[in-house]
Amino acid sequence: MSTVVPRSDYARDILHVYGIVTWVAIGIALVVGLALAWILVRFRDRPGVSRVPAQTRGHTLLEISWTIAPALVLLAIAIPTIQVIFRTQAAPPRDALEIIVYGHQWWWEFRYPALQVVTANELHVPAGRPVALTLQGPDVIHSFWVPQLGGKRDVVPGRLNRLTFTAETPGEYRGQCAEFCGVSHANMGMRVIVDAPEAFARWVAAQKTELAEPAGLAAEGKAIFARSACVGCHTIRGVSSGALGPDLTTFGSRHTLAAGLHPISVDNVVAWLKNPPAVKPDAKMPALGLTDEQARAVATYLIGLK
Amino acid sequence: MTSADASGRVLHAPPLAGVETPATVSSWLTTVDHKRIGILYGATGFAFFLLGGLEALLIRLQLAVPNNTVVSAHVYNALFTMHGTTMIFLAIMPFNAALFNYMVPLLIGARDVAFPRLNALSYWLFLAGGLLLNASLLAGTPPDVGWFGYANLTSKHYTPGPGVDFWIVSLQILGVSSVIAAINFIVTILNMRAPGMTMMRMPVFVWMTLVVQFLIALAFPPITVGLIFLMFDRFFGTHFYDVAAGADLHLWQHLFWIFGHPEVYILILPAFGIVSEVLPTFARKPLFGAPVVIYSGVLIGFFGFSVWSHHMFAAGMGPVADSAFSIATMLIAIPTGVKIFNWLATLWGGTIRTTTALHFAVGLVGLFTIGGLSGIMHASPPVDLQQTDSYFVVAHLHYVLIGGSLFGLFAGAYYWWPKMTGRLLGEWLGRIQFWVMFAGFNLAFFPQHYLGAIGMPRRVYTYPGDAGWTAGNFASTVGAFGIGVSVLLFIVNAWRSLRRGASAPADPWDGRTLEWRTSSPPPAHDFDTIPPVYGRDSFWREKYGPRRGAPAAASPAPPHLPASSHWPIMIAHGMGIAAVGALTHVSIVVIGALWTIWGIFRLALEHHRTHAHADQTGVLGLDHRKMAMWVFLGSECFFFGTLVATYLAYKGRSVVGPAPHEIFNIPVTSLSTFDLLMSSLLMVLALAAVQRGDRRQALLWLFGTAFFGLIFLGFQAYEFTDFVHKGFTLQRNLFGSTFFVLTGLHGTHVAIGVLWLLALWVLALRGRLGVADAVKVEIAGLYWHFVDVVWIAIFTLVYLIP
Repeated sequence: MSTVVPRSDYARDILHVYGIVTWVAIGIALVVGLALAWILVRFRDRPGVSRVPAQTRGHTLLEISWTIAPALVLLAIAIPTIQVIFRTQAAPPRDALEIIVYGHQWWWEFRYPALQVVTANELHVPAGRPVALTLQGPDVIHSFWVPQLGGKRDVVPGRLNRLTFTAETPGEYRGQCAEFCGVSHANMGMRVIVDAPEAFARWVAAQKTELAEPAGLAAEGKAIFARSACVGCHTIRGVSSGALGPDLTTFGSRHTLAAGLHPISVDNVVAWLKNPPAVKPDAKMPALGLTDEQARAVATYLIGLK
Repeated sequence: MTSADASGRVLHAPPLAGVETPATVSSWLTTVDHKRIGILYGATGFAFFLLGGLEALLIRLQLAVPNNTVVSAHVYNALFTMHGTTMIFLAIMPFNAALFNYMVPLLIGARDVAFPRLNALSYWLFLAGGLLLNASLLAGTPPDVGWFGYANLTSKHYTPGPGVDFWIVSLQILGVSSVIAAINFIVTILNMRAPGMTMMRMPVFVWMTLVVQFLIALAFPPITVGLIFLMFDRFFGTHFYDVAAGADLHLWQHLFWIFGHPEVYILILPAFGIVSEVLPTFARKPLFGAPVVIYSGVLIGFFGFSVWSHHMFAAGMGPVADSAFSIATMLIAIPTGVKIFNWLATLWGGTIRTTTALHFAVGLVGLFTIGGLSGIMHASPPVDLQQTDSYFVVAHLHYVLIGGSLFGLFAGAYYWWPKMTGRLLGEWLGRIQFWVMFAGFNLAFFPQHYLGAIGMPRRVYTYPGDAGWTAGNFASTVGAFGIGVSVLLFIVNAWRSLRRGASAPADPWDGRTLEWRTSSPPPAHDFDTIPPVYGRDSFWREKYGPRRGAPAAASPAPPHLPASSHWPIMIAHGMGIAAVGALTHVSIVVIGALWTIWGIFRLALEHHRTHAHADQTGVLGLDHRKMAMWVFLGSECFFFGTLVATYLAYKGRSVVGPAPHEIFNIPVTSLSTFDLLMSSLLMVLALAAVQRGDRRQALLWLFGTAFFGLIFLGFQAYEFTDFVHKGFTLQRNLFGSTFFVLTGLHGTHVAIGVLWLLALWVLALRGRLGVADAVKVEIAGLYWHFVDVVWIAIFTLVYLIP
């Protein structure tokens, strides 16, 4: 999640300015620090010699110089700053992939209007193509932050904020909510998977394919799912259409569960299903009173949803 | 003038005839002595500081290793909320206040502040606010929304418990405490300087104090309004932060940070002032470029109001706003940097005595430079969009607040301790304390720059083990405990000093300013004779020359010492009770309010007949009370300005009707406006009557003004009732929220004015309002006219303009 290992044009633009301000800061810190240290040594009072030094009151030329010098340094920072502000907040190009991001307490919803895809917590984007995120919030203020792909932008209910970037390299990048949004703010992570264009196309296709009918334990799990409260909150295409919780249609193809909290495995999913608030404090999903076998069945079903 | 007993301990100067300084509990509860109030602020602030420090250590324990379980998420979120709120409002600000209180009168050659009883009231309100905030801990429901509590997380819907309510009510009380003190110090500094002490001859600490008081008076009103909006949303169903009703969540952020940014200058400028006293003293040279340091402080204060949205770069304000606030923020770095260079130049060429106070002052110069530089990095929005809300900004803010404010305060503590206690703090232990704090602090917070750079967000109760954040967090925790150890060392040093420390002479450091001219500690009356002022660094000039200007004649009469009073603590009780009522039941609010009003009346009339209080004309030729009223009205301009700005910002955003033009009755409101205007005329006549001793006419016009005010309130009651009958209520829509709160608060101001005028009328009726009391009527008049002018603005902007 490093801010200094950029993987998008946006992150690189930022790093350009980041480098300038960091070197300026280090330079000034060294100058002031060394000056201070030297002064303290050179003008230290020696025991037995307590002379009163010349009572210098000031020096106008010095004052002017060290007012102008910082101003020039700041100018050197301000110019690239303004340029990058306008460049990175420009309207996205027409061929940008539009994604709508909804920040919920404490998970992320992603909708691709042009592709008719809905998913949660793990965002797939194609490499080399501009991506235009529109951030909307149904509940409180969150902040979308994937450091390697760019700076953060708040999700402010009632406003539409935008974040545009073009990812460069395929890979998996971590992100996390960056505006305190309640009890489990720390547990509102996400993953952005940058796919090569063909891989992205395959992923999109997989989101829209009819799900295979499960068998065995997974079939039991589906049956439990379909008759439980799950259907009131979650959507699994062809099975349920709840709108309060994450879309689970391709849950099994994700790498993590509960917004980047744990890797997906049967045990982790079982632990979650049995008692979500124990895994993620104050999670809105209640414990449903599933037995171990029921949880295992449902977990097997969910992991099979690819 | 001091004397010593057989053991060499310095005694208080012989007290003035009959006036003594008892050491009873009740004498402390009723004290109005600025020195005692300073000690109260310092000791109480220190207790809260320890509490806030404990909260910090728990935070660091929890974050020492990944996936830790020292505290739950709920507790952690409350911990960082309480830690931030406590350290800012209950520790740093009171420490600053302790030094303002104790030192400012001494530094300007005065014997006390302009309003000693209001000074005490400020302290007791601070205590009340601090106790109320921490009562939330006892109630098991501390606030857990962060110290800047963003809406709409703070709404009743998302945070239903009373924690946020405790937070709101405590902050409001603390705000009142601070603004009253601000008015007090502004009048003191402007109006009570010793003869010959021109503004530019004042010590820089006094200048920084003055700038800070203006910042307080003007910055607190916006957050007062923002908190009123939040309270009304939570208690009365208004829609200020209700997105579904058309509200804009940026409103809270703007209101908070219009306060919040000046607040950080409120926190740091006193430390800059301290350093500007300590460095010259221990370098034995004047402050280099003192006028420039003063001007830069004033500029920082002024421009501090123009940068607030640099806290909102991630909020989506758009590129133009981002750029404007970025440039403004960078500009403010210039006067700040200038100060650093001036401090370096002060030390350069000096004869530097490396006392503990100097260690801390030098520490500030180095550490604040680092904090200021990370701040400049934040000033660039692109960079800030990576750094904000991460541990990078946590590092930045602690470098400026601990490396800056706290180190400055420790410098002040070691510097002025001898003056305040008559003892010296141990230098050997002091240096150890400094180095432990310096090492602990840097270990705690420098790694956090790195943690932020590698993506660790702030306000997270735990983090995964595979993020690479573990080592940095562990180091940070060790450093935090180092800070804790250094605070313990300070406590040990202080304790030993008070028990058996070496006694301090009046001038232990060969000082430059007036406080060193009186005994350590000073007598109750501060100075036996008001000191002569020979220029900036007046005491140094008195000792070593060159002297400018003739010394002032010794004051002929014995000084008037302000009498103790129990009304300040009583008023604070009343407000505390009302605040508790806000959290429990409205009847308790009523009891508390009545108690408060009773206390205010008694305080106002306590010295009505005291001859020494009749004439309070100060150095600028203005009566203290008039100056105070002007400052208060300045603060009120920001209060009403915020309300009106909110009304205008929310205009047209209501989702449902009615709209203003559908409901207003302009003809009737024009009548009530005319009535209020006429009442101002009657007020002018009333004042003229009092000034010429015409009791009959004074009674007539005072009553007339109050009566016209009542008529206005009657019109308003009619209007409100009419609206409610038509279905237009406070809760109806956004317009209802902004309209009723704005005009309701204005009406409250009118009602208070009416009460005030009726009180003056009763005094006149009893023959107790003479020519000598004209200034009291004058300030009531100023208030009344102001409330009138505000109404004209409201009538124009709200009613008339479509």
